[in-house]
Amino acid sequence: MAARIAASFAFAVAAYALVPFAFSGNLYLMSMIVAALTIGGIALAWALLGNLGGLVSFGHAAFFGVGSYASALLVMKAGWPIGISLLAGGACAALAAVLMLPALRLRGPYFALAVLAYAHIFRIVATEWKGLTNGAGGIGNIPRFPVVLGYDFSSKTGAYWIVLSLVLAFALIYAGIRRSHLGLALRAMHDSEDATRAVGVNSTLAKASMLFLSAFMTGMMGAFNAHYINFLEPDYAFSGLWTMLPIVAAIFGGYRTITGPLIGAVVVYLLDQLVFKAMMPIGHQIVLGALLGAMILFAPQGLQSIFARRLPRLRMTSASGDA
Amino acid sequence: MLELSDIGVRFGGLRALDGVSLSVAAGEIVGLVGPNGAGKTTLFNVISGNLRPQRGSLHFDGADIARVPAYARARRGIGRTFQIPQPMHTLTVAENLAVAQRFGAGRVDAHAAEEILDLVHLTGLASRDAATSLSLAELKALEVAKALATRPRMLLLDEVLAGLEAVAKRRFTQMLAEIHARYKLAIVIIEHDIETISTLCPRAAVLNFGQLIADGTPAFVFSQPDVVASYTGTVPDA
Amino acid sequence: MTELVLQALWSGILTGSSYALIALGLALVFGTMNVINLAHGELVLLAAYVAYTCESAWGASPLLAIPAAIVIVCIATALTYGLVGRIRRDRELNSLLLTYGIGIMLTNGILLIWKADIRSTKSAWLQDAIVFGPLYSMRSELLFFAVSAALIAGLWWWLTRTWAGRAVRAVASNRDAAQLMGIDPHRVEFVSFLVAGLLAAFAGAAIFSVGVIQPGLGISLTIKAFIITVLAGMGSVPGLLVGALLLGLTESLTTTFFSSALQELAGMVLFLVVLFVLPNGLFGTRWRRAH
Repeated sequence: MAARIAASFAFAVAAYALVPFAFSGNLYLMSMIVAALTIGGIALAWALLGNLGGLVSFGHAAFFGVGSYASALLVMKAGWPIGISLLAGGACAALAAVLMLPALRLRGPYFALAVLAYAHIFRIVATEWKGLTNGAGGIGNIPRFPVVLGYDFSSKTGAYWIVLSLVLAFALIYAGIRRSHLGLALRAMHDSEDATRAVGVNSTLAKASMLFLSAFMTGMMGAFNAHYINFLEPDYAFSGLWTMLPIVAAIFGGYRTITGPLIGAVVVYLLDQLVFKAMMPIGHQIVLGALLGAMILFAPQGLQSIFARRLPRLRMTSASGDA
Repeated sequence: MLELSDIGVRFGGLRALDGVSLSVAAGEIVGLVGPNGAGKTTLFNVISGNLRPQRGSLHFDGADIARVPAYARARRGIGRTFQIPQPMHTLTVAENLAVAQRFGAGRVDAHAAEEILDLVHLTGLASRDAATSLSLAELKALEVAKALATRPRMLLLDEVLAGLEAVAKRRFTQMLAEIHARYKLAIVIIEHDIETISTLCPRAAVLNFGQLIADGTPAFVFSQPDVVASYTGTVPDA
Repeated sequence: MTELVLQALWSGILTGSSYALIALGLALVFGTMNVINLAHGELVLLAAYVAYTCESAWGASPLLAIPAAIVIVCIATALTYGLVGRIRRDRELNSLLLTYGIGIMLTNGILLIWKADIRSTKSAWLQDAIVFGPLYSMRSELLFFAVSAALIAGLWWWLTRTWAGRAVRAVASNRDAAQLMGIDPHRVEFVSFLVAGLLAAFAGAAIFSVGVIQPGLGISLTIKAFIITVLAGMGSVPGLLVGALLLGLTESLTTTFFSSALQELAGMVLFLVVLFVLPNGLFGTRWRRAH
């Protein structure tokens, strides 16, 4: 237990202090890291929905886009402060998820596709509803993060700290739920929803709440991104990349764990931008597709399972172990 | 406690239940018998909320529960077991009970859980994974334990003895009697074994082709010509 | 006014016929293998680009490109089948992710080979207007409507009158029982993938001849095929035809009375309406469960 606390502390110091100290000179690398963490946050949210909610989604870009626009518009047109707008962005994304509730009735693959269709719908609505979103022209000059206590959070390092904090908060929430009775019930639902209902679990509500949570987290990532990039347009905010990259990241890193999607995001994104893109400026994501396919065929549990095969598995008690 | 009135269920052209009316009083043990396909599990599905009847009404504790969803009925006090045990596989035995208590009874009570495990003879197995290492008898015991963990006032047991050999059956029957004595709940039990019904249930109801054809003490019911005929297919000489 | 409506209906039916081919292919694979091929739209697009290449490289009519398209698409589907077949656990879900990955590869592959520009046919013959009374259509639309109708009829004949087709239906309705009757489900799956590829090849040639193509089209085709499946309800083949026509009609009516930019949205809204109001689709069997 003490070792765990020490490790967590060391990790926190490394993440918050060492990384900026080492890389803040290299703006390009820092922006890559911020982007990777943004993807990581979405990947975490996606994995949460898959693991706890038992639902695979191919449309998380919808939540990302809704969160982006919601936050940007609330700040620019309604004068809300940026921090609250991040939460509001998440809330709006969760509201968008309410529209997806009827899709919960659909079986697995059908639900995944339904969410994909929703993502398309939102993109088209954002493009056509010019009065609200300025359509394809996009929204520019979105306010940056403010100066707080003398520190300018619109700097790369500031943005890094914000997204890092958000992602760590998400990870803690995810871990908390997994350990709770709700987490147990959610796991049980995958085997037999009837059995869980027979003991009083409102399975529909449980699944729905995971959907809302996942949407909320993704929406916050979108909101963060809007104030970081300071520009939005429908094809960007609702781009399929915000769905695809997190999925590849989560599968690569191991979607059954909490750290897997995050590690996967950093590795996959950096590889894609620094290596594949350099080799193939156009169409470099073909490698990501191949990577996803390869992972599904050879290591569906992700990287960590490849390593675990070499190391002896410790038998963990179910209450604290992986899903 | 439970009032079923004129329940009708159709699956396409098949009338699974045809005008079934049944009352169960608090603390009563009723055996539900009948040949295969008579509609017994269907009736349970209607009571527990897994199936909505086309016709008829159901009241539990005086309240109309026709529109109450399954999980809410579990919280109100209707517990059930499934014919084929459906444990929450990836959880341990203890976790199965914890989930049932947390959501079905409203709070987790380790002491109550211990007592339940003791009653169903699963005490040593609390930390075993439900899926992998339990025998059939243990799985069936877990089914009952799960249902008990929700603090039910009525327990629906669906062929909970099926597949057990004679000694296990008798122990199980004994266990059910103990449970009834301890918790004073109403029990409706579907069983094929006449001896079990006669030992355990002061009252038996017979279902055939979706209709209730007899209702009374086991001795009375099993001597009815139409009941015998429903099992053997022939009417015995009077 | 009526003329506009009639024209919209006519165009919708013509468009719907291509959609039907795409949806049927998707449904066939899903029926036999329980796998939704998320790369299906990309396969159709691949065929469309093959048609484009045949036309731009050799001046050949897209119709002549069909054999080449069939070969290439069927190779791609065979490869997809091979990969999907290797999934050991959790096939329903993992196949989704795998075909999603394959779809990404195809889209980017198309991007690499053919660049991002929008393409369409240059054949004047295909773009010729054919007029029936007040109804206007391009020759390509009519041609491919006839082709689609013939293919659908052929498919129906194959499914109901040939042993191969009956085997497909057997596996789709009860895999285990079919095995007990001596049917090899793997061969049946393979065949259904190939037939789906065949249909996709024709659909691709149609889409190229009738409209414009660009690399991002693949995913929207898959979504449309999916919408049609939801409209039709589970396990209903006539429903797919009706659903495809319905989608085509919705799109053309939207284009006529609102704007072409909204036509995709209209299809999605139709999908949402069905989802909310008739979750089992127009023809799906009614559920009995109480939730």
